[in-house]
Amino acid sequence: MSRRLLLLGLALCCIGPASAEPRIELSAGPAWKGWTRPGRTTEIDIRLQSDVETRASLDVATGRESVGAAVELQPGRVARLQIAIRSAPASAVSVRVTPGPPTARDVTLAQSESPLLGVALATGELVALEGFHALALAADDLPRNASAYSSIDALVIDAPTLVALDQRQLGALVAYTADCGRLVVLDAGAAVQRLLDGARGCGAGAVTSARSLADAKAMLSESLATSMPPTLSLASAGALARPGHAAWNAIAVSLAVYFAAAALALVYLPALPVMLLAPALATAALLALLQGVHPQSQLIVWSEGKSAAPLARYQAWQRFPGIVRERVRVPLPPQLGAAVQPCEAGQAMRFEVDASGARALFAEFETRLFRQVALCYRGTFPMERSIAVAARADGSHVVRNTGGRAWPSGVLLAAGRVHELPAIVPGAAANVAGEARRPAADAALRLASTRIRIDQTAALWALDLSGVAGAPVDSTGWLLVAAAPAR
Amino acid sequence: MNETLASRFAALSGLVLAAALALWWLGSARLAIDQGADAARGSADALHAAWLVRALLVPVLALRVGALRGWRDGAASSLAMVVPSWPVLAMAWSASAVPLGQSLLAEGFLVVAAIVLPLLGHGLRRVVPRSELAEPIASALGVALAAALWLGHARWAFSSAL
Repeated sequence: MSRRLLLLGLALCCIGPASAEPRIELSAGPAWKGWTRPGRTTEIDIRLQSDVETRASLDVATGRESVGAAVELQPGRVARLQIAIRSAPASAVSVRVTPGPPTARDVTLAQSESPLLGVALATGELVALEGFHALALAADDLPRNASAYSSIDALVIDAPTLVALDQRQLGALVAYTADCGRLVVLDAGAAVQRLLDGARGCGAGAVTSARSLADAKAMLSESLATSMPPTLSLASAGALARPGHAAWNAIAVSLAVYFAAAALALVYLPALPVMLLAPALATAALLALLQGVHPQSQLIVWSEGKSAAPLARYQAWQRFPGIVRERVRVPLPPQLGAAVQPCEAGQAMRFEVDASGARALFAEFETRLFRQVALCYRGTFPMERSIAVAARADGSHVVRNTGGRAWPSGVLLAAGRVHELPAIVPGAAANVAGEARRPAADAALRLASTRIRIDQTAALWALDLSGVAGAPVDSTGWLLVAAAPAR
Repeated sequence: MNETLASRFAALSGLVLAAALALWWLGSARLAIDQGADAARGSADALHAAWLVRALLVPVLALRVGALRGWRDGAASSLAMVVPSWPVLAMAWSASAVPLGQSLLAEGFLVVAAIVLPLLGHGLRRVVPRSELAEPIASALGVALAAALWLGHARWAFSSAL
């Protein structure tokens, strides 16, 4: 008896620790000291620590969007994730972790109606700029996701703070400058200057370096007086997509077949069981047909850059046509997953990100027949196009490839007209003349003509998206490069 | 109208109704697809309209045929009016955000009405044996039921909108 009791005691003693739930410590803090602007993207910095080795599931919910991640936790080591989220009207972000006892933190975001000016100076000084709400920031307040820079409207940073940034923060800052973000660097050294020179977009008008705080303020005011190229709206790239009619056509034909068969049955087999069974069988057949239809998603990439600029900005739009009422989980192209959001702000969606929170791997959403859920991506990619155009009195244009790489053929947009542009090797020039057409015939040309000034000349090329891993078969892309005037 | 002809006529009416509904729903869905919009609202409207039209027709048909031809023919004609729309409704439901239970309940209500109301017509014929009298009474009763349903529906729609 005592032996049995001893065994029971031993079993209980061993089972106890094994079944104990891991104790997970969670802390969460927002970037930009919690400040953002309505509808913009910001970032939550999450730290997780566990007393045992475990796999934790993290869920960050804001508005109708949520972000999930699976994190491997090691005892004594802090796992850090920086998750980009869209600021919700409620301004409350809830972070939950499983397993273990429910661990949740609420992160409150402050939404500013005024434009936000980030001031990241080691001295802690602030720059007051009329109409702006200035934020005094430390290096750790700057985000790791480039998309989170949409929360602020301008940034002043000094060299010591810049040096204190980690690799991901620096990458996000470079992406911000490439995306025409307004930045003033105080006391930038030669190395920093070179780094920013290689990345700044928008003809370098948005990035400046200053020697003093007063200089920085003056430069910022000057920069704000110049308007940057407007960001392409989320729906613009979607306007280039062709509507997907495959499912509609299949259903229209199936219903037509059903009506024809039912009419024939009514004429030749007017028995009641036939009249009742035919619709029931047709219903089952149609529902089965829906299960067998798998329409492909469609990807549209629109990119823009200036001649000789090292980076082009892109906006991509991917549509997932729905067929049956279900919750789908779709993989996202890895090269585009760094800044992704639903194109419609009210769309409920869950993103699954990698262990660092830097890249979205999957998107989960509810779909149904004819529903077209679209995801919008944005970012930059390296570009090597340098184009100089000189207009002639006879209406023709001399186009020169001033860069180091050959171009494929494309189109030239000049004075509201469209000309065919031949492929040109580096250093060579071509005389573009002949029949010019109006851009109205083509959606891409129409969009291109709205993206340049009337006195500006630009070239439009089709993008080769074969290098985009995971891109659907139905992928189309364009690159619009504003030309430099020929000397 | 003989027995087979009555059922055939009801089935043909049901088929024409279903075809008209399909045309409307497919048209609205195509417009929504072309405009990049969601077809859910139009599909829910199609489901609602299909239910309402059949719910208004079934009492009139079921009571009248039930009184004239008996329960079996009444039920057959009413079901032949209700059932042909099912394939269209299944597709419209797939494109809508209407809960499955709500759609099944609505169709179940119609099927039950198509089976039960002819019994009422048949009972009326028992009470009023003269067919020339039973027919208008059954028709009037059917119209009254349809009107009551319409008014009830309108009141419900009004209170939901508030």
